[in-house]
Amino acid sequence: MKNRLKVLRAEHDWSQADLADKLNVSRQTINAIETEKYDPSLPLAFKIAELFGKKIEEIFFPNQGN
Amino acid sequence: MNTILEKLSQKPIVVISSAVIWALVYFLARWLLDNHQLQDGLRVAVALTPILPFAIFLMLMLAGIRQMDELHRKVHLEALAIAFPLTMLLLMLLGLLELVIPLSPEDWSYRHVWQFLPLFYFLGLAFTWRRYQ
Repeated sequence: MKNRLKVLRAEHDWSQADLADKLNVSRQTINAIETEKYDPSLPLAFKIAELFGKKIEEIFFPNQGN
Repeated sequence: MNTILEKLSQKPIVVISSAVIWALVYFLARWLLDNHQLQDGLRVAVALTPILPFAIFLMLMLAGIRQMDELHRKVHLEALAIAFPLTMLLLMLLGLLELVIPLSPEDWSYRHVWQFLPLFYFLGLAFTWRRYQ
């Protein structure tokens, strides 16, 4: 799954550690989501969307062909 | 009880210390059983002594895993998914080899083989972490 997390984080001038603290997850988790090696759970995706004031589908996109 | 465990499990030094204590108790029990003539009942009691420190270590580790975030929990689950089949493979191969080669109980008894199991777990952890970094 693709996502715009890195772009949104940069817009807010947050480090991965800052975002991790706000979401109560580890920095490694943020990094794995940003590099698209890990797809977050639905509750975490909702939390991310709420934090950035967006809908989930504005942050996460299915890979082409899915 | 759970709150105490959760607080303690957040301190890596506590979890590592509990693992070290468990290992020390195990090696002490093994040394006693290898080197001292004890009564049968006492030998059984000594052989069972690692259960308590292991139970404490296990409770701390589980409490720690429950507090991890979802990626860390997934990594531990995948590490187990690697370690468990490797354990089955090891035991299966040793069982088959036993039919072919006389395996010395001084080298290949349960007290030697179990040490491979945590090794498989750590291998699984290392392998899984590479996927997400």
